[in-house]
Amino acid sequence: MAGTTASPAAKSPKPSQRERRLEKINANAGRYGRVSFVESVPFGKALLIDRYRLENGLQILLLADKSAPVIAYHTWFRVGSRHEKPGKTGLAHLFEHLMFNEVEGLAAGEFDRKMEEAGAENNASTWLDFTQYQEAFPKGQLKTVLGLEAKRMSKLVLREPQVTSEKEVVANERRYRVDDDVEGAVDELLWKTAFEKHPYHWPTIGWMEDIQGFTTEDCKAFYETYYSPNNASVIAVGDLNEEAVLSLIAEHYGDLAPATLPVEDIHPEPPQLEERRLEVEKPTPTEKLAVGYKGPALGDADHGVVSVMLDVLFGGRASRVQQRLVRELEIASDVRAHVGPHRDPALIEMFVSLREGKKAEEALAVIEAELERVCREPVAQSELDRAAARVELGLLSGLDTAEGKASTIGFYETLLGEPGAAFDRLRQMQRVSPGDVLRVARRYLVKTARTVIFVRASGGEK
Amino acid sequence: MSELRLAGLFVESTPALPLIGLSLSMKAGSSFDPAGKEGVVRLMARLIRRTGKGRTAVETDLLLDAMGASLGAEAACSTVGLHGSSISRSSDRFIEALADVVSAPQFRADEFALLVREAESELVESLDNDRSLARRWFRRKLFEGHPYGRPPGGTISSLQRVELGDVEAAYRRLFVRENAVLGLAGDVDEKTAEAWAERLLARLPAGPAAVDDIAEPQGPTGRHLVVVDKPERTQTQILIGSLGTHPDDPDHTALHVANTIFGGTFTARLCQEVRAKRGWSYGATSSLAFDRKRHAFSLWTFPKAEDAAPCIELQLGMLKALREGGVTKKELAWAKKYLDRSHAFAIDTASKRVSLKVDSELYDLPKGYYEEYTERVKAVTLDEVNAAVRARITDENLVISVVGTDKDIGGALRSAIPELKSAEVVPFDRND
Repeated sequence: MAGTTASPAAKSPKPSQRERRLEKINANAGRYGRVSFVESVPFGKALLIDRYRLENGLQILLLADKSAPVIAYHTWFRVGSRHEKPGKTGLAHLFEHLMFNEVEGLAAGEFDRKMEEAGAENNASTWLDFTQYQEAFPKGQLKTVLGLEAKRMSKLVLREPQVTSEKEVVANERRYRVDDDVEGAVDELLWKTAFEKHPYHWPTIGWMEDIQGFTTEDCKAFYETYYSPNNASVIAVGDLNEEAVLSLIAEHYGDLAPATLPVEDIHPEPPQLEERRLEVEKPTPTEKLAVGYKGPALGDADHGVVSVMLDVLFGGRASRVQQRLVRELEIASDVRAHVGPHRDPALIEMFVSLREGKKAEEALAVIEAELERVCREPVAQSELDRAAARVELGLLSGLDTAEGKASTIGFYETLLGEPGAAFDRLRQMQRVSPGDVLRVARRYLVKTARTVIFVRASGGEK
Repeated sequence: MSELRLAGLFVESTPALPLIGLSLSMKAGSSFDPAGKEGVVRLMARLIRRTGKGRTAVETDLLLDAMGASLGAEAACSTVGLHGSSISRSSDRFIEALADVVSAPQFRADEFALLVREAESELVESLDNDRSLARRWFRRKLFEGHPYGRPPGGTISSLQRVELGDVEAAYRRLFVRENAVLGLAGDVDEKTAEAWAERLLARLPAGPAAVDDIAEPQGPTGRHLVVVDKPERTQTQILIGSLGTHPDDPDHTALHVANTIFGGTFTARLCQEVRAKRGWSYGATSSLAFDRKRHAFSLWTFPKAEDAAPCIELQLGMLKALREGGVTKKELAWAKKYLDRSHAFAIDTASKRVSLKVDSELYDLPKGYYEEYTERVKAVTLDEVNAAVRARITDENLVISVVGTDKDIGGALRSAIPELKSAEVVPFDRND
């Protein structure tokens, strides 16, 4: 029993065709609805992203991929928890929740009901640097879904009962992800301790007291400030017709005026000159260790090199640290590390779950020895090759669906302004040399610029 | 193809990405764990994954990493197998490595002992996961005395009773050609896939298929509460449920539609009442699991500690209302559109399409179960849905599993659930 399906490679329209199409679309454009072509950007070897722009500043990224009769439609706003102020933390995330409530002409709940009726899978997420909304749906439902998504960019209705109820939902989300979750709580503490000035100090979900203190007015002000077409990119990926998508976008977003966006007012994090150590007790059967070194921003050329270095050290069971902690010494049950993919310099995070009766200090000593080694001796080319192959597998696996492609494009577009950067980054990581690793190891693995959290197993009061 | 051809070879080809996905599963799983030695089959799968052709575990991992490949081993009650993916340029070497794993594993005492200690530490680690704790005790209570109630990963005490000979015997019994179902998806053509299947099969031992003879689970009578007592919980994890349906049931599709209306989506009744109206829980869903025999119908919520009792009361009331009042014509019309259209996402990638075919074979699903899914959904009538609800949904015969701090919530829970037939409190770190 076997079957086959084929996926012809997508093509971008020829320039003359494109001009004719745009003329047609623009003939009846709304006040801000004129569409202009900006560029075509390769997305891997076979696919091409076409970038357009609406007169009101909305960025439009289209990727035709006929491998399934579905479309993923994303809206990425360049606003995240970095734009919040102390006392109002978690507002970007709470607001993301509120975007699923009442819209003009649609009572609370009807937005999602209509999305579901269209067969759409929809969701959203907020992080330090962005907020994104996503739908994936059968291609025949484009008009319905795009119309709904566009509507909530300007026609959201914010009322007290919904804000109150949603604050309680978010408080429960916080209990789930942070307060009752050891790793979530430790991660929050690590960032809170490592950053003192920069907004990465507070968690995207916000402090509990801030969540409970938000007013409807806070939410309205946030919406008016940040939810405008010139602060957003829309991404459509899948079995789409560019002309049809552009016409709908021009129709539904063409009357939205651009907003005057506030100048970002962020204090850079001062250099960390002394190690910070904390010890906490949690109701967990085993000790944990969290370590955060100050790392590069996503747009820094060092970011990919650090990622490769961390893969050599922590990536997979054959990596240096995993072999030592899990197999040889049998100190740990789980070991992980990554460098945060953020707009500003963030953290190189390491996390270890110890085995019963083992001390977090034992794991730290092993990690320190391996970090000192990577600062001292060049890694082997075979280790770099394995890391590059693992990264390539990870990237490709994430692009299996239209949704995966749209997420990848939206993320790099919002963070770097380069929608095809995932592949540029892969090529960069494939070129990393032993000398590159020595250099970044010595630059970033600096003990005085790290934060260490020891989690003791309290066992709790029974 | 020669006579070595697998009865269960499923291929979905697409050149969309330079990647292949693979699963090699056996039609028998941890139901073959000897009594008191739960975890044998899972340990076996993990041990062979590490030691093919005499390689050490580290050598196997280095080999796979260098290829740009991943390989995992997992066991469930009715299946055990290996699954992974590889960058296209390495796919032939990946198949060879997999053939080494399934045909020439090494049952070395040192690696086995290390694996058991790892598995024990993972079980200890899983005590941090409240949702997983709720699920473990829900299944254990719902399927008490039935293989579905035994954890495929074992318990700390059961792992300590497992010997290397048990693991080797499980391999000999289950990893045979006649049990195998192979799924291949992605950048591989049919001819190559068949050649790979032959290569794998030729190396897999021959032997009689292992057929489990699991009885139909009976389900609970009365209401049973199990509180998994964990300190310092600000929130609870709650699972409420009973038996659901089997794909062979004549009302299977009707019940599936009813579940969609009740708790299958964000705008379904359960999420609207629990989350949208009351803000009690970040998530509120119901689901129907399937296996070769009838499996669970369950509701999942996670309210804060003081909302746990009223949240359970609300859910019991909603189950009663569903059973007595059924669903409406309007709800049915909406659910049909949703299920018909959203099915596109069950088949939008080659790997998903092939996994449906593999599941059909592994779980002996009725012919056309997935292929004719949307037609069956569209044909369901209101009377059929409500008859299925009356026949299968119960608010009286239930298991209610709650992870929380008993001294804070236990009394309120017991008061909120009338006619409790049993109530027990188990420490979260109980290791049997």
